[in-house]
Amino acid sequence: MRKQLNKEVAVFKSRMNRKRALIADTFCLTKRRRCAADSVTGESQADIRSSLQYLVTLFSRKLFNDSLPPVVLKHQLYSLHNDKTSVDKQVVRSDCNKCSTWDSVQSHFIIITLMHSEALVFSFPRQNELRETGELLMFQLGFDSEAFALVFAEDYRAKVLQGEAGRGTLGTVEKFLTKLIPSCSDLSFNKEKMLKEFLFTDSEITQLVKSGVLTVRDAGSWWLSIPNSGKFIKYFIKGRKAVLGMVKKSKYGEILQTELEGRRTTSQVKFQMKYHIHDIIGAELVECIQTTSGTLLRYVDGNVN
Amino acid sequence: MLSFLYARQSGLDDPVRLRRAESTRRVLSLELNHNRDVDRIHGNGINTLDIEVIDGRYMLSGGSDGVIVIYDLENNSKKPQYTCKAICTVGRSSRHVHKFSVETVQWYPHDTGMFVSSSFDKTMKVWDTETLKPAEEFQFDGNVYCHHMSPVARKHSLVAVGTKDPKVQLCDLKSGSRIHILQGHRGEILSVRWSPRYDHILATASTDSRVHIWDVRRASGSLFTLDQHNGDKSKTSSEAVNTAHNGRVNGLCFTADGLHLLTTGTDDRMRLWNSATGENTLVNYGKVVNESRKGLKFTVSRGCSPEFVFVPCGSSVAVYGLHSGELITMLRGHYNNVDCCEFHPDYQELYSGGKDCNILAWVPVLRQPDIEDEETNSKRVKQSETFF
Repeated sequence: MRKQLNKEVAVFKSRMNRKRALIADTFCLTKRRRCAADSVTGESQADIRSSLQYLVTLFSRKLFNDSLPPVVLKHQLYSLHNDKTSVDKQVVRSDCNKCSTWDSVQSHFIIITLMHSEALVFSFPRQNELRETGELLMFQLGFDSEAFALVFAEDYRAKVLQGEAGRGTLGTVEKFLTKLIPSCSDLSFNKEKMLKEFLFTDSEITQLVKSGVLTVRDAGSWWLSIPNSGKFIKYFIKGRKAVLGMVKKSKYGEILQTELEGRRTTSQVKFQMKYHIHDIIGAELVECIQTTSGTLLRYVDGNVN
Repeated sequence: MLSFLYARQSGLDDPVRLRRAESTRRVLSLELNHNRDVDRIHGNGINTLDIEVIDGRYMLSGGSDGVIVIYDLENNSKKPQYTCKAICTVGRSSRHVHKFSVETVQWYPHDTGMFVSSSFDKTMKVWDTETLKPAEEFQFDGNVYCHHMSPVARKHSLVAVGTKDPKVQLCDLKSGSRIHILQGHRGEILSVRWSPRYDHILATASTDSRVHIWDVRRASGSLFTLDQHNGDKSKTSSEAVNTAHNGRVNGLCFTADGLHLLTTGTDDRMRLWNSATGENTLVNYGKVVNESRKGLKFTVSRGCSPEFVFVPCGSSVAVYGLHSGELITMLRGHYNNVDCCEFHPDYQELYSGGKDCNILAWVPVLRQPDIEDEETNSKRVKQSETFF
């Protein structure tokens, strides 16, 4: 019975594939030069979760005395995956997701044709709606309107509670986190939402701001933030500037990525070199050129940074 | 390709599919061709290009020196080497020439007897192509950045004009007067565009970072503004709420079916919107370098299966896949900034003009005939000659 079903599914899929195959798939859309295979960027499977876990390992915890959860920036993912749109779709809220091709639908639905050509449609939840399921939190960092920080929810919760241990505000913060983590995926909150939906009082909101979980955005609205993240932002911006300076000062304003990774970091650069390299590639502050000796990073003129 | 031909022949596929596949293949192989040239008439940068819709034969160009030139794109000589000749020019010696740079030119959508040009000398002129004299002239208070006539309108002949004034003006060609003003923007209007699907829908882009979609039949304000965060007010600071870009919006282009709208802004981003609901489709094109202080003129391909966007980026033209956001290629060839580009749908050619006073034609690369075939052909010809 199962073998027959599999056969029928295969036949159905092949018939559908002929009609629904995109013309674009016939043509090799981008000319790819033969270049040295890069172990990380060679991934073709869009597995955002494993990329996030890899980037988390690059984050130096010791620097902040273990008080910060590992922070990854959203644009660092663009340097690992070619398709920015699919990265955005998997990280941002899903009401912007639309299945435009049959292939993507196929991966989410399994259609089983029965003997008398009736079809049962099973839907499987998309495995990558990380923010929907409350696994990932996104923060607006403040130094760039397009730079978003991503933190795994468990790490965030653990570190915040660790930081709050022994303080009077612990109860309020715990209440906020239990309300926030499973359902909410907003970056900022306004007063109405805090008072009515979450049922916090004014004094509790003040406590949350004091503890660093909320930062002031405007009169009556607050950004969600990571406590003690000021130091992180300061080191991050300094390090980014220093690494960009290294690329700019190289001969012709360009340097091989492997050579840059091997360079000694100055005292300005507190994070690992690879962390900064993913950042500058993803934010398109340097141009990535594939050569026969590997990836070349060329400084892009006109950067404000 | 052979599979497409076989499928067409045996009826497995629709005829349109083969046509689209071939168009896509041609667009993917666009290159500068040493056989195709365009006459160099302009002494200063070229700001705008327009190819007429009816035959696709004549092209208008407007330059920073106020000169307007008409070119014939069709190759009637039997040779492959062809220079697109300039048929006529409204040069500096003409009495009616624009005093300052011409920003936008557009052919009348229904025939080539008329074209409209607008310029920084605060006028918009409607020209008669036969005599090259303006039949009508509209005066405005500020520099005119752009104008557009609806390509599908039969019931009205309104020209939408964007000037330094935050009010969008609608001028009627039939009566010669300014009949309507659209209020809602707070900054200079850098780009206006009619929808190719409905003759009453108009999109306008301005320096106040907003894009408004209007229905000109309505007396009250705009239908909606495009919001880059799709109503999610929590993502940005409170000043940036309800904006289409984080900087000036200086380019607008509808796709050929009118269902989607592309906007470019000085925040180096290009966004694709659903033109019916105003929803941001969140296609990420990456950094689309945009330093233009005036409107940016870019174009979308027609008749291909994944459509392509051609955007001038610095001194090259970037080609992106419309729905995937992938950078396909950069067309390099200009010596200075590229200001405008125009797609010829029948031959899948791209014409681009820029500050280096050149108009470059990007032509699909044809497969070279095999050397063996040429030899056998010439042998056959010689044999048949000796026979006779």
